[in-house]
Amino acid sequence: MPTLRPTLHLDRLGSVIAGLIALALFASPFVTYRANRIVSGEGRLLVDALPPAGALVTIAVVLGVALCAALARKPLVRLAAASLGLCVIFPAVGFSAGFVTPAGNTFARVSPAIGFWLLALAFALLATDALTRLRLGPWGRLAALSIAAGALALLLLSGAWNDLSLMKEYANRAESFWREARQHLWLALGSMGAACLVGLPLGLASHRVPALRNAILQGLGIVQTIPSIALFGILIAPLGYLAANVPLAAALGIRGIGAAPAFIALFLYSLLPVVANTMAGLSQVPADVIEAARGMGLSPRQRLAQIELPLAFPVILAGIRIVLVQNLGLATIAALIGGGGFGTFVFQGIGQTAIDLVLLGAIPTVALSFAAAIILDAIIDLTRRGAA
Amino acid sequence: MSVRAVILRAAALLLLVAFVTAPQLFAFAFAPLTANNAPAIYNQGSLLALTLSHLRIVALATLASTVLAVALGIFVTRPKGREFLPLSRSLVNIGQTFPPIAVLAIAVPLVGFGEKPTFIALFLYGLLPIFENTLAGLTGVSPRTLEAAKGMGMNARQRLWQVELPLALPVILAGIRLSVIISLGTATIGSTVAAKGLGEVIIAGLQSNNVAFILQGGLVVALLAVLIHDGLGLVERAAARRLGRPLDGTA
Amino acid sequence: MIEIEHLSKRYGDNIVVDDVSFTIGEGEIAVVVGTSGAGKSTLLRMINRLVAPSAGRVLIDGQDTTTIPEDELRHRIGYVIQGYGLFPHRTVAENIATVPRLLGWDKKRIATRVEELLDLFQLDPGEFARKFPHQLSGGQQQRVGVARALAAKPALLLMDEPFGSLDPVIRGKAQDDLLAIQRRLGTTIVLVTHDMNEAFHLGDRIAVMDQARLLQYAKPADLLTHPAEAFVEQLVGTAERPFRLLSLMTVQDAMEPGHADGEPITVSATLRDALAQLIWRGRPVLPVADASGAPIGRISVDGILKHGRPLA
Repeated sequence: MPTLRPTLHLDRLGSVIAGLIALALFASPFVTYRANRIVSGEGRLLVDALPPAGALVTIAVVLGVALCAALARKPLVRLAAASLGLCVIFPAVGFSAGFVTPAGNTFARVSPAIGFWLLALAFALLATDALTRLRLGPWGRLAALSIAAGALALLLLSGAWNDLSLMKEYANRAESFWREARQHLWLALGSMGAACLVGLPLGLASHRVPALRNAILQGLGIVQTIPSIALFGILIAPLGYLAANVPLAAALGIRGIGAAPAFIALFLYSLLPVVANTMAGLSQVPADVIEAARGMGLSPRQRLAQIELPLAFPVILAGIRIVLVQNLGLATIAALIGGGGFGTFVFQGIGQTAIDLVLLGAIPTVALSFAAAIILDAIIDLTRRGAA
Repeated sequence: MSVRAVILRAAALLLLVAFVTAPQLFAFAFAPLTANNAPAIYNQGSLLALTLSHLRIVALATLASTVLAVALGIFVTRPKGREFLPLSRSLVNIGQTFPPIAVLAIAVPLVGFGEKPTFIALFLYGLLPIFENTLAGLTGVSPRTLEAAKGMGMNARQRLWQVELPLALPVILAGIRLSVIISLGTATIGSTVAAKGLGEVIIAGLQSNNVAFILQGGLVVALLAVLIHDGLGLVERAAARRLGRPLDGTA
Repeated sequence: MIEIEHLSKRYGDNIVVDDVSFTIGEGEIAVVVGTSGAGKSTLLRMINRLVAPSAGRVLIDGQDTTTIPEDELRHRIGYVIQGYGLFPHRTVAENIATVPRLLGWDKKRIATRVEELLDLFQLDPGEFARKFPHQLSGGQQQRVGVARALAAKPALLLMDEPFGSLDPVIRGKAQDDLLAIQRRLGTTIVLVTHDMNEAFHLGDRIAVMDQARLLQYAKPADLLTHPAEAFVEQLVGTAERPFRLLSLMTVQDAMEPGHADGEPITVSATLRDALAQLIWRGRPVLPVADASGAPIGRISVDGILKHGRPLA
């Protein structure tokens, strides 16, 4: 007869994460040291990347997190462990840069290496899993995002990362970084705004007039299948023509190359999700609700404003979420045709084989899309008032 | 499918084949777009070869993503993998906020220039829609259908192969289609990291300020995308029709 | 008073309602019955002009409804449909307040009215006012639907299968509640159903429709005793005729003078219920008592049976 006794339960996901951590800690370099910006570098294990005491503490904490991941069951405990891990390795990689760089050497570059990224991935996985299991409400998710953003801001402002190659690239281009950031946001948000202004009425019209529906959806569907770089390129021709032949257009800053074709391409890509979701939202309003509204004498305008749009709103917002995330990513391509944005750094970086420059463009883009997705998801949840 | 639709598709295909095999025949159409006696037709390589290598890398990457994504999708919906389901859903949501160009750019430092980073970017980015749709398809199978299958004495493997996968097939195919279309576009950007593909034509145009190049590169990719999107849509609808639930063609 | 005059509706060659005329008296419940596709709902929807008649007109208290702007007309007519069509994004209180708000009532008056109606429908305002429709049971949703229709004190209430999505037990209770509220408020009601029991239970008059035509419009008893067409006879059900007839009359109608032993039957019970009591207790005769319980006569099986067929 089997005896009942408490057993140590090994969490399967946690074990995978612990394995990942072990791999990162003992088999992968924590940072890469390069004599200058573009030569290839040499890896340093965590033990060699920090002063002995610091390395010991960091390794101890990281191993503790791994143990926690494998054994702890409570999501809150796992979340706390993951957060602790992130709070240790992020500053650590910054200090490591200072430690590894020979004093007074301004050419040497230190970047986080595969070991750091694996650790970050493992902790992020652990945190994501814990957050998923906690089933946070919309406000909870927004709070978690704010805390993460705050911690990141604190890290960057504190100067802990200033010795890292990434931040050196930033320091060399601080001014153009913020200019491209504004340009990136303007491209992504402006074209989204324009798409909403055009797409909402268009969606409403296609909901009301079935004959329009297929034509509009198919037309916009074809636009979606054209690869971004091709659409950006194709738009250069007509806009160039416009600029050359219509003085007003040129005066407004419309040129074949630059922000104008990028803006229009993003606008065109944005239309389909806005139109399709407006239509879907309106058509899922139950027929008996509309019938009841008519029966009570709500005029068509009142029905639209008080019943149909409020009920369709979460679905329309979901369309806007798609557009926003898509635009923030696609705006990167604008740099290829001189449209600016974070893509400028990505393509410069690719051209110069400077990884950190690529990351300088790619990381803010990913962070923005990520934050936008979380914020809009939360708003969508908050607007689902009264839905089951 | 109406006669008009068939003729339209056949014409588009014919145009595409004619253009990539004998582009000089179309020089007259592109000549007005050039200035200073620049060539009207891309002259730094064969359009046909570029098209084929573009298609090859997309096909290889999609094949690889399909195998892995479907396998993962099956794994997390089995009792053994259930523990990973919530996390994998979150990861898919997060993964979709990564723009393809970022994936491509981050792959370059790891594996160098050329086909490899492009393949990795296409492969990774292609995983997401297929994995998501595999999940949607498998979890969307009605519990009553599964109950019935169990009641008839099917074991887990038989239920998967004979009930769940066939029912999920149209949704999985929709994911593959989406993945292919995204890859066709992303492969174009791959030319910025020296992968051979149609992006070369566009980028050559951008560099030499030759609108004719940009347009012909763009048109070939667009035509490919529309035709492939359309063709895979037909396959998908055929699969859905077999199950007696016609999908609407907008997905 | 509602007068329906030669009302017709056709879509192309398809005639949905064919020259229907009848009159509904003040404070009456008129039930329109018929098989599905008979044109009942279309007829009802022509009264509040959700469907525009192809010919004919509707008069409310002598006024032609086409002279009133559509929306205004509908503000004055309550309307309840099978799924109720409650607005899912609005609370119970907001749902009920819809028409008063459209009419521009002030907030205080609306709040008072909402509370009054919730009380009337036995829904505790403190508990239900702020709930959303999806948090209610089917029966509660139905009551909110009717309360919403009555919010602006309409003189006329149109109901299209209002009990259709309730289970039988709740349905009976909801019908009784509706009758009680109608008696209290004196609202005129036109109700569409395909359930004959419901029609006989609720209707002061019943309109039978088949294939777009009105076959007969009469009091329930007349429908049983003098069916105008074979279809009417078939619809009311030949096997159930005597029992339906008995259920339309009370003990008062068949009471005899005299005395009997046993537990008395109240004078307001239907003859059908009285007969059931007699059969079940195995008695040929039982005493009748008034509401206060005082004996006022007796009722016999023979006396009841005489009322179960048309009086020659």
